[in-house]
Amino acid sequence: MKKILALLLTLTMVLSMAACGAGETAETEAPAADAPAAEAPAAAADFKVGAIYINSKNDTAGYTFAHHNGITTAMNELGLDPATQLVIVDEVPEDKEQVLSAIDTLVGEGANIIFGISFGYIDAMEEAAGEYTDVIFSHATGYKSNETNFNNYFGRAYQARYLAGIAAGMKSLETGNNNVGYVAAYGTEYAETASGINGFALGVQAVNPEATVFVKNLGAWADEVNESAFAVELIESFGCGVISQHCDSAQPQIAAENAGVFGCGYNSDMTPDAPAAHLTAAIWNWNVYYRTAMEAAMNCGEAANFVSTMGTPAYYGGLAEGFVDVSPLSDNCAAGTAEAIEAVKAMIVSGEWDVFSGTKLEIAADGTVTKVEAPLVDNAGNEIVAAGGASVEDGVITGTMNYFVAGVQEA
Amino acid sequence: MKFHIVKRDNCPLWKKCCLYLAAVVIALLLGGALLIALGVDPVAYYTRMFTMGTIGNKIAYKVWINYLKELVPLALVSVALSLAFRMRFWNIGGEGQFILGAIAAAFVAFKTGAGLPNALTLILMCLAAMLTAGIYGLFVAALKVKFGTNETLMTLMLNYVALYVLMFLGETKADWNFFLDAGSARPVFASFTELASFPGIPMGGKFSLNICVILTLVIGILVFVYLKYTKQGYEIAVVGDSAGTARYAGMKVNRIVLRTVFLSAALIGLAAAFKVGTAGILSTSITDDVGWTGIIVAWLSQLNTGVIFVVSALICVLHYGSTVAAATFSQVDSSFANMLQGVILFLVLAADFYTRFKIVPVKKGGK
Repeated sequence: MKKILALLLTLTMVLSMAACGAGETAETEAPAADAPAAEAPAAAADFKVGAIYINSKNDTAGYTFAHHNGITTAMNELGLDPATQLVIVDEVPEDKEQVLSAIDTLVGEGANIIFGISFGYIDAMEEAAGEYTDVIFSHATGYKSNETNFNNYFGRAYQARYLAGIAAGMKSLETGNNNVGYVAAYGTEYAETASGINGFALGVQAVNPEATVFVKNLGAWADEVNESAFAVELIESFGCGVISQHCDSAQPQIAAENAGVFGCGYNSDMTPDAPAAHLTAAIWNWNVYYRTAMEAAMNCGEAANFVSTMGTPAYYGGLAEGFVDVSPLSDNCAAGTAEAIEAVKAMIVSGEWDVFSGTKLEIAADGTVTKVEAPLVDNAGNEIVAAGGASVEDGVITGTMNYFVAGVQEA
Repeated sequence: MKFHIVKRDNCPLWKKCCLYLAAVVIALLLGGALLIALGVDPVAYYTRMFTMGTIGNKIAYKVWINYLKELVPLALVSVALSLAFRMRFWNIGGEGQFILGAIAAAFVAFKTGAGLPNALTLILMCLAAMLTAGIYGLFVAALKVKFGTNETLMTLMLNYVALYVLMFLGETKADWNFFLDAGSARPVFASFTELASFPGIPMGGKFSLNICVILTLVIGILVFVYLKYTKQGYEIAVVGDSAGTARYAGMKVNRIVLRTVFLSAALIGLAAAFKVGTAGILSTSITDDVGWTGIIVAWLSQLNTGVIFVVSALICVLHYGSTVAAATFSQVDSSFANMLQGVILFLVLAADFYTRFKIVPVKKGGK
């Protein structure tokens, strides 16, 4: 009998562990549901927004949080009530069947537009867009679309990275340390990470041509333990004085703070996480896109007109739209940083200059910016853009940029 | 005061039902208290959960299709596991067997789907999945029979081996890796819906009944008959009760163990074939935890084939309904849904304990 009891207990434990594997207590914080603005348009009252998240909608930091924050902010701006007009299926893995099932749930709830925030939702969203032609589908970070009710959206994070690079370069000049570290989710495997690293490195070199950016590759989009460990390694073994990052948590900034060096965060302003180390972060203002998309969805009449109303099946906003930016500069920044970033930002916003072109910027310690024609070269010595040439195509930045520029070194 | 745990013989059915019902009610009350703390109306939440959001849903037929898609693998895996459990062979490897079956089925779909008719491809997919998963299970059974290894640990650990094989296939872009979509820069599993797909039977309106639902019911009946009315079924029961007795009665215990475990794992492979043959794509979360949940279902059903179908149907309502209900309440995320499921299952298992045992105080002065 004892045996049976023991087995029962073991089984119960195994089972309950399996059953509650992902079951964590829900956060009690509800998203800020401000009262809808008084001047809400009449059509807005029954407009419903659907969303599919990769993590919990109650997250308080990270990728899903950034999107959820963007969606609710945009809804509040437009006088929509997130408490009643937003339906979300969260913690949906990148599994076509489960994404399709989530879409069915959202369509069943009457969603007029459905946002999917994770790359792996791509095929399910494409299929559902064909099936539910009266619903709009909008997919973050993807590349698929149609001419009617299915688009994708992403942003020119490399522009914000370049500005953060300027802050890092200024700091390296001030401290006299030419080694800059970068904890990255992936390296050249993905254009998303490679373009971010390259944009940052070009920004650093515009200020300090002697600087080298050492990149440590995590091999995962989020890995808090190694995010910290790799930052420590970059500081201790590579002597890096500024740590930049492309990963979810603020661990690299905290590691920089603990080691008494400096850092540039990502996704959100990380100054509160590392007040003595953080310079500025490349950030996303997702609400800029979400507002644009929701307005288009409410005004386009029927779902089939959505893509034509948006003007493009692939929204790719940057500094000009305010979709990406740098967070307010902290007091840790070197003198002249603000002026230099302001000047370069103006050049990018006006369309006068862009990062991956045959013209590079030389930024003096006092913040004055000079344009110089010079080829864009990768770190194997291949010329990507000839001196004076135009910027690479957007398709390269989002799809085929699988190289590092000169001055970047894998650590 | 001290307590004794005493075996309870023949707990009457009404008492069992009351105990289970009480467990569910207590779990819902606990969940309700949490919902109130979150500022959610528990009645509204539970109504949505138990109706799975079908009320006022313009595409309610989709709810049923998706519900059945969850139910088929769970019911079949539970039936398969009950075969091994009846013999006291603790097959905790449902996940791994399911994954290998899924990979085998997808392999066949990619390799033969283009040249063969749909029906033939589907049959080959089922056979390949059954054989692969069956052998994976047989391997553990052979080790147990030959060397007396612990099958609980072996099957448990092999789950992770299978999972990492699947993850490797899902993340490795290479010329040989036909499982991935060649057109995508990032590694993404390729779809084979056009190569092979289980057909649905139109049932009027937009609802169509996937043929796998009927096949699963048929298999359930076959397994019931097999266990109840065949010699092999009887042998399983005897080996489960006492291997020594079975041996004394002249049964070839080793052969029975090998045969039954193969059958158990093969049926899990078949469930995987049904799943990928309907989904038309692999995924690293293809099992949807049926290998684990199936153990709970088999256990709660006390390995009774008919009851397994009822319990898995209820668990799927819980699972699917939780997701749907969480979608419309902004405070409730799917972690809460998972937690509520965990509480219900835990308490039902506790109730199950009280149907078999009772706790009596030890009299003072007694031993």
